Amino acid sequence: MFDLSFLLEEGHLTLLRNGVLTTVRLFVVSGLMASAIGIALATLRALPIRICKALVVAIVEYHRNVPVLVQILVWYFGVPQVLPEALKLWINAGNTEFFLAAVALSLNSGAFVSEDIRSGLRAIPYTQHEAAWSIGLTYLQSLRYVILPQGIGAALPALVNQALLLFKNSSLAMAIGVHELLYRTKQIDNLTFRTFDIFLVATVLYLIGTLALMALAEHFAKRRTAPMGV
Amino acid sequence: MLQFENVDKYYGAHHVLKGIDAKIERGEVLVVCGPSGSGKSTLIRTVTRLEAIQGGRILFEGRDVAAADSNVNRLRARIGFVFQSFNLFQNLSVRQNLMLGPIKVLGLSRDAALAQAETLLAKVGLANKIDAMPANLSGGQQQRVAIARALAMKPPLMLFDEPTSALDPEMVQEVLQVMRALADEGMTMMIVTHEMGFAREVASRVWFMDHGQLLEDAPPARFFDHPAHARAQRFLQDVLRPAPRAAMLTD
Amino acid sequence: MFDILHDHLALFLVGAWPHGPLGGVANTLVLAALGLVASFPLAIAVGMAQVSPWRWLRTGADAWTRLVRGIPLLLIIFWAYFAVPLLVGAEVSAFTTAVCAIIVYESAFLAQIVRAGLESLPRGQMESARSIGLSWLQSMRHVQLPQALANMLPSIVNQSVSIIKATSLAYVIGVPELTYSAAQVNTITLTKPLQTFLLLAAFYFVLCFTLSRFAGWMERRIARRRLGLA
Repeated sequence: MFDLSFLLEEGHLTLLRNGVLTTVRLFVVSGLMASAIGIALATLRALPIRICKALVVAIVEYHRNVPVLVQILVWYFGVPQVLPEALKLWINAGNTEFFLAAVALSLNSGAFVSEDIRSGLRAIPYTQHEAAWSIGLTYLQSLRYVILPQGIGAALPALVNQALLLFKNSSLAMAIGVHELLYRTKQIDNLTFRTFDIFLVATVLYLIGTLALMALAEHFAKRRTAPMGV
Repeated sequence: MLQFENVDKYYGAHHVLKGIDAKIERGEVLVVCGPSGSGKSTLIRTVTRLEAIQGGRILFEGRDVAAADSNVNRLRARIGFVFQSFNLFQNLSVRQNLMLGPIKVLGLSRDAALAQAETLLAKVGLANKIDAMPANLSGGQQQRVAIARALAMKPPLMLFDEPTSALDPEMVQEVLQVMRALADEGMTMMIVTHEMGFAREVASRVWFMDHGQLLEDAPPARFFDHPAHARAQRFLQDVLRPAPRAAMLTD
Repeated sequence: MFDILHDHLALFLVGAWPHGPLGGVANTLVLAALGLVASFPLAIAVGMAQVSPWRWLRTGADAWTRLVRGIPLLLIIFWAYFAVPLLVGAEVSAFTTAVCAIIVYESAFLAQIVRAGLESLPRGQMESARSIGLSWLQSMRHVQLPQALANMLPSIVNQSVSIIKATSLAYVIGVPELTYSAAQVNTITLTKPLQTFLLLAAFYFVLCFTLSRFAGWMERRIARRRLGLA
C-alpha cells in the first residue's frame, strides 16, 4: 500500500524517535507539575480566606478563557522580558523553549486539574463529613482519610481526560520551536516530501497515546457508576 | 384479529414469556392481569415489536408481525399504543401531538388532520386544551390526550400498557371513563391493568399471567367468581377494588 | 500596554482591512462562526449515528469520534493543509483550510453534545413516536432533535468558546486572525513583547469570558422556563 522505508534512510527514524521522546518528556514533566499546581490551587481554594479564593478564581479563569497557544506565546516572548538577568541566563543555559513550554502547559493544565479536584470534592455528600466528625476525626483528619480519597476518586475520569488534553497540547510547543513529535513530523515532511506517509505515522503515534488514555478514563468512569453507599 | 402462537421470550437467561398461546377476536376487550413481573407488560409490547420475541409467532390480521416483508412502521400505524407514562411529545402542543401521525404517516391534509384532532379531543373531554403544552396538563389529562393521539391513527386495535398506574388516584376515573366509552363503541382492546373493578365491568375476557405463563383465560364472571388456578385466587384476594363510579366528565 | 492598544487598535480589530484581507478579532469571529455553522450538519449526523439502532453506524461514528478526538488539532490542520487542495483539485486559501479543519474537529466534539442531548431525552419519547408509525428518521426530525437542540443550547455556546480558542491555531498556517495580528504588532514594537501578548490574551479573555457568562445565563433561563416560571 504505502512504503515506510523512507524512514529508515538518512537518520529519519532517529529524528522521529527523538520527537516521540521529547513529546513524552514534555507530557510527563508538565503532567507532574500540573498535578502539583492543581492540588495546590485546590487547597488554596478550599481555605476560608477570601483573597486566596479570588486569586485562584482569577488564575483559573485566565487559563480557561485564553487559548493555550497564546499562553505559550506569552511565556516565551513576554516573560523573559521581565525576568532578572540571572534567571534569564539560567533558563537560556538549558533548553529554553522546552522549559517555557512546559511551564505554560503545566499552569494551563494545573488550573483545570484544580477545578476537577474541586468538583470531585463537591460530589462527596455532606453526610460523609458528618460521619467522619461523628467518630471524632478532626477537620484535617477527615479530609485526609475520608474526603480527599473519595474526592480524587470521583475526579479521576475528569483528571484522565485532562491528561489526554495535555498530551495533545504538547504539540503546540512546536510553534516556539520545541523539537517534539509534530515538529519532527513537519521536518521529515520537508526533507522527504512523503507528506501522507509521515502524517499517517504521526497520527498513529498520537492515537496510541490518546486511545490508551481514553481507555483508562472509561475504565475509571465505569467503576464509578455504582453509587457510593451512605 | 390478534393471535399469539407459542410465544417465547428471554431476557438473557431469564425466560420471561413461556409459550403464550391465545387469541383476541375483533370487538373483544381483553384485560391482562397478574402480579408484578408476570410478563404482562412485556407481552403487550411484543405485539408492536417494541420488544422482540425469540420463539413462536404473533399474527395481526392474519400476518406475522415479524415477517421479513412486513413494514414495522405500517404495523404500528394500525395498532394504537397507550403507555403507562403517557409519553406525549413535549416539544409539541396537544394539537400538534394529535396531528403529527396522521399527516406524516397517513398522509392526511392539515385540514383533515385538524378536524379529526378536534373531534377526538372533544370525545375525551379536552376540547379546550387543544393549544396547551403537555407540561401544563395534569397526568389524567395527558393520558386522555395520549389516547386521542393513538385514536387519531384510526387503528382497528388499541393496546393499553397499565394506562392508569402512573396516575394519582383521583385522576384514574377520568381515564377509565374514556376507555369504557371506547369499549362500548366496539373497539378491539387489549389492556394490561390492575383496575379489577374496571375489568369486571368492561372486559369480554380476562387473562391471568404469572411468571411468564398464561394461566387463565376466562370471561370476567367466571374469572372473578370461580378462578380455576390457585395463584389466580391468591392474586384476586390481594387486589380487588370496587367498580368505577358512573360519573360525568367535568373537564 | 494601553499605548500599544491605542497605536495598533485597527490591526488588532480588523487586521489589514480595508487595505488587505480581513484580520484581527473580526476575522477570528468570522472563522469561528463559519466553523460552527458549517460543522453543524455533520455534527448532527454523527451524533444521530451514535444513538442509532444500527450497530455498524454506531461503530463507525464512534471510531470517527475517537480518531478526531485522539489527535492534536494542529495535526488536523496540517492534514487539511495537505488534503483539501488535493480533494478540491485547486489551490485553497489558508482560511478555507482552517475552516475545513474546524469542521472536522467539531464534527467529533459537537457530535458528543448532540449525542448527550439526544440521550438525555426520556426513552418514552422515541417509543411513542415509533408507536404511531413514524420511522426512526421521522421521529428524530419531529420529536427528538427539536427537544434535544433546545437542551443543548448552553453546551453549544460553551463549545463556541472552544472554537474561538481553536482559531488561534490558524496563526500557524498564516491565517490573518487575532494572534497573527499580535505577532505583527510585536515585530513592529519589538521592545514590549510581554505587553503585546498580554494584550492578546486580554482580547481572548474578554471574548470567551463574555460567551461563557452568556451560556450560563441561557442555562438558567431554560431551567426557569421548563418549570413554567418564565
